[in-house]
Amino acid sequence: METNGYQKQVMDLYHFISDHLYFNRPDLEVKGETFNSAILLSLLTGLVKGKELIIGEPGLGKTTSAEFVCSLIYQFPLGVIWGSEVSGHPEQTEEKIIGRPDLGKLNRGEEDVVWTNFAQVPVKIVDEINRLPETKQSMILDGVDRGNWEYLNEMIINEEYCLYATANYQDGGTNTIIAPLVDRFDVIVESRYPGANLSFLIAKSKGKEQVLRHPKFEKDFYRILKSKIAYEKKIPKIEEVCNAFGAYVEETIGIKPLKREDRFQIRDQIGAIDLDLDASAFSRMILSELSFCDRYGQKRIVEHCEEGCHYTGYLCRQIKNCASNRLPTSIKLFSQGLAWLMGDSVVDIEHLKAVMPYALSHRIQWKDEILSQKERAKRDDPFQIFLAKEAVKTVSQRYREQSDYLKDALAVGSKIFQGEPLEPLEGDHPIYTEIKKDLLHKRNRR
Amino acid sequence: MKDADSIKKTMPSSKPPSLTVFQNPFEEFESFQCQKQEIPLDRMVQTAEAVMDQIRLGYEKLLEEEAKELVWMVQYNTIIKAYEVAEKYVKEIDYSAEDIEDFCFALENTQKIPYLIPGPAGIYISALCNYAKEEEIALKLSELKTEINLIGFRLPKGKRLTVEGDTGDFTGIGLEGGEMIVEGNAKNWTGAGMRSGKILVKKNIGLHTGEWMMGGEIYVGGRIRGIGNIVEGKVYEREKLVYPGKARYPNLYY
Repeated sequence: METNGYQKQVMDLYHFISDHLYFNRPDLEVKGETFNSAILLSLLTGLVKGKELIIGEPGLGKTTSAEFVCSLIYQFPLGVIWGSEVSGHPEQTEEKIIGRPDLGKLNRGEEDVVWTNFAQVPVKIVDEINRLPETKQSMILDGVDRGNWEYLNEMIINEEYCLYATANYQDGGTNTIIAPLVDRFDVIVESRYPGANLSFLIAKSKGKEQVLRHPKFEKDFYRILKSKIAYEKKIPKIEEVCNAFGAYVEETIGIKPLKREDRFQIRDQIGAIDLDLDASAFSRMILSELSFCDRYGQKRIVEHCEEGCHYTGYLCRQIKNCASNRLPTSIKLFSQGLAWLMGDSVVDIEHLKAVMPYALSHRIQWKDEILSQKERAKRDDPFQIFLAKEAVKTVSQRYREQSDYLKDALAVGSKIFQGEPLEPLEGDHPIYTEIKKDLLHKRNRR
Repeated sequence: MKDADSIKKTMPSSKPPSLTVFQNPFEEFESFQCQKQEIPLDRMVQTAEAVMDQIRLGYEKLLEEEAKELVWMVQYNTIIKAYEVAEKYVKEIDYSAEDIEDFCFALENTQKIPYLIPGPAGIYISALCNYAKEEEIALKLSELKTEINLIGFRLPKGKRLTVEGDTGDFTGIGLEGGEMIVEGNAKNWTGAGMRSGKILVKKNIGLHTGEWMMGGEIYVGGRIRGIGNIVEGKVYEREKLVYPGKARYPNLYY
């Protein structure tokens, strides 16, 4: 696939980060290529304007990995990124996260908003998001979802933004991340312990972040962000300084960060990559298992599986909640990004299998019996990601066994949808019932 | 109520937004043509059937060319001639020892093979055994109603042929150094004209055993009904050497 060299440029960024800034082991293999999932998914998050939740033990590089990626994908010096981060703590307020009244103007009886750096810059990092109390997590729901930041009846909309949030495992100071907020994250990834030897190396390479610092440019950024001009007029000015910083990085360390137009072109290229038939059918199969209930029409967290249900062998029996509509969007977005990065012209089942566990794991609520069955299983991943990987593996096995029949069923579905007098194919899997439901819906509309 | 002017948008997109309408959710599969997936077992069965067809065809050709002479009269020159024909077809087939056994079974149990003639069938099976890639070949003939003649004809050195069940006349004739084991009985003329090698018949054996044999050994676990005119070689009956020796005379009935 023609990528105008962007793919190599992004891979150079990946290698620079893994070789010089964030030392860790590869833990993800796709079509024979190995990656570190934390760097890979953070890069893809930046490229596709996604939202990533990075979990891990304290001090294992959750925030720094995101900072390095943001700096190189968006050409911001680390000083600006640090100054734009929101840190989660119980005393956090809307004024510190989104904006505050312009006090000078307020004294004169005028209302105007001074937007925070966090609201204005396209790279948004929320550190320790689960230290925000549940009530305050709602404040960032809209911004996280749509890039809309609203204060005192004024609103700015970030056309281009990505979000990284970090979360520690549950301890005394953490809260649960509310379900609607969790669902808004496209992927979740663990920043892992790199192993004793790499950890030792990290201690030796202290101060490595200086390569992405530039005090003069940082001051320029702050001056623009603080200026009283309209937000949309700030954007080109910010971009100007971004490009100057990008040129500096290229000159000093020999790698080329992405300019705004590069990112837009990359997104166009990524968006043009389609899912092949297997990827499409496989996605449908897994989505049906995560949402299907024969008894009650769909999964609902408040309803329980009945005894003796025919569909006991599928994921729907093991989970409590229903997959949201954001799930397929996240899967598609990140698998397209991965396919693009690997130079593939279509998204195939391998891309999906690599991405899916990270898009699923925070969105599935497993039943207690499944958790207790599997909690002692030998694994390398955090429990939730491990369970999601196992689920994807199981469904992909099912898909392999009946891929042709399923594609046939979907093809017959298409023909019936267009009015051909055929009967939908029968099958044991929930997807066949879902196909029939869609066809019934179509017949009723006629 | 928000004031429209207060909404400050950044960098409006240059592309007009496109709306997805509710459409055929299966549209992308419209042109999908299901290609029947071939599972490894299918392929194995197909391959085995193709090989069996070839083997059967060779046998039918042999029958067409040589059946008349072999059916009416077994003479050494007609056997050689038939074997040459069998060799010609067998050499062109890529088969395994298992296919030979399948062919033996098919001789009686399939409609595809019109008739089993013990002579040509034995010649053909012998050619198959002699040209097989495997050194060890086991044939299960115990379930056949007909005893096959001429099994083990010219079995070469290095081959070991085990027959489960009984064999007919002329078992192991012209043996050329191979080792032949018959788990059951063998009929007359066993080992006739053999040059070297070993024949072990675990049960009884018929008349003319080792007729004109030029070398090699015949072991019989049961009784030998009659020994032929042996030129050279050894014949044992129940581990006792009966030729050369005084105990037996050619075709002495007992």
